[in-house]
Amino acid sequence: MKSPITFQVAKNGIVLSLDADAKFNNIKKALKDHVDTATNFYAGSDLYINIANSSFKIDQLNEIVNIARGYKDVNNIIFTSDVVEENIIEVKDEGENTLIKRTLRSGQKIKKSGNVIIIGDINPGAEVVAGGDIIVFGKIRGVVHAGAGGGSSEASVIALKLEPTQLRISKKIARPPEEDSNIKTLNPERAFIQDGKIMVEDFEI
Amino acid sequence: MAGKSLVITSGKGGVGKTTTVANIGTALAMMQHKVCLIDADIGLRNLDVIMGLENRIVYDIVDVVEENCRLEQALIRDKRHKNLYLLPAAQTRDKTAVQPKQMENLVKELKKEVDYIIIDSPAGIEQGFKNAIAGADFALIVTTPEVSAVRDADRIIGLLEAEGIKDPEVIINRINPDMVKRGDMMTIEDIIEILAVKLKGIVPEDDIIIVSSNRGEPVVLKDNPKAGQAFKNIARRITGEEVNFISLQESSLFSKIKRIFNFS
Repeated sequence: MKSPITFQVAKNGIVLSLDADAKFNNIKKALKDHVDTATNFYAGSDLYINIANSSFKIDQLNEIVNIARGYKDVNNIIFTSDVVEENIIEVKDEGENTLIKRTLRSGQKIKKSGNVIIIGDINPGAEVVAGGDIIVFGKIRGVVHAGAGGGSSEASVIALKLEPTQLRISKKIARPPEEDSNIKTLNPERAFIQDGKIMVEDFEI
Repeated sequence: MAGKSLVITSGKGGVGKTTTVANIGTALAMMQHKVCLIDADIGLRNLDVIMGLENRIVYDIVDVVEENCRLEQALIRDKRHKNLYLLPAAQTRDKTAVQPKQMENLVKELKKEVDYIIIDSPAGIEQGFKNAIAGADFALIVTTPEVSAVRDADRIIGLLEAEGIKDPEVIINRINPDMVKRGDMMTIEDIIEILAVKLKGIVPEDDIIIVSSNRGEPVVLKDNPKAGQAFKNIARRITGEEVNFISLQESSLFSKIKRIFNFS
């Protein structure tokens, strides 16, 4: 059965969307269950409750807020009726590693706390943010950020062809040299931080 | 009889969507298919001008969805081909005047009557785009050999996939063989490598396009060897025919494309 509540990571926090067609009691129960199992889910971030398309009464909204207060260390609870942008692709969390078997196109964004493995390309205008490593069996031409969100500076980015618009590891940002690369063949490379700088070397197994 | 609906879209403006719709539509009609063109660019309609049918508009697409007239009343028959129709956009309204669901129903209705429905999408990714793709079975993306146009095409392909329109194909418009030869222009190979979709056609840059647009006479009507022939070939490919890509006076480029995509 489809859950009456869904979560999405947005720019400024986390958006909790309530299914407009679900019964209020089911929404309440699902939210309560989630609060009980994931108390720290929102620690340090804002929680947006998306009430677009739904018609709750004031006291029902009150009940929702009261349940949501059960999350520890959440900054603010804010109601919103904005339709959540669909740029962020929902990918099933496979524990620490996320495997994506497709090419990411301009405007598409993946954000994960663990490692991200992509079989396909990251096209210009696409963005991948990972708490851990980013490994791409394809070309990186978009923006990649490994070791994001307080992740390790040991994180690295590996790709069959590394031509990112911008490459970030932990808190360091690098962009490739201005001149065009004329290398048409694939050339596996690995980017990592050494002596406080982002370095790129040929990736050899 | 159930017709096929296809949307011509691009993301970026000015790459030649409307010209492509007018020419492919006319070419399909010349092949004796029954065709209806829909201008989904409400508020900024152009397709009627390029088809030379501007002065025949009485009712438009908004009149149809608002039930001010019947669908048949709004359809304008082309002055050259009796099996070609245009459903014009409204000029005095905006994109919010039509909802995707209404568009879907409209296309469904038209499919009973014609072989091909070609929808001219506005630039952008907002409601006008969503309306345009709502009733489409297939999508053709028009791009030019410019980095910004290709970037937008890539974005559009992603959005189409999200909407369940699978395997869009690409038309590369306004390619200049001399510039490609000199290495001053993105090659077809470069573009296809980024977009990773099937190539539907290559249209060379041709000054006659501007002339024919201004006159309201799609270039396929004339025996034009460059752009006109390219559009005719695309129309034939749409009907399922295998047609070789026209040579851009540069055999090496041509053979490269064939190698990558195994067109025979």
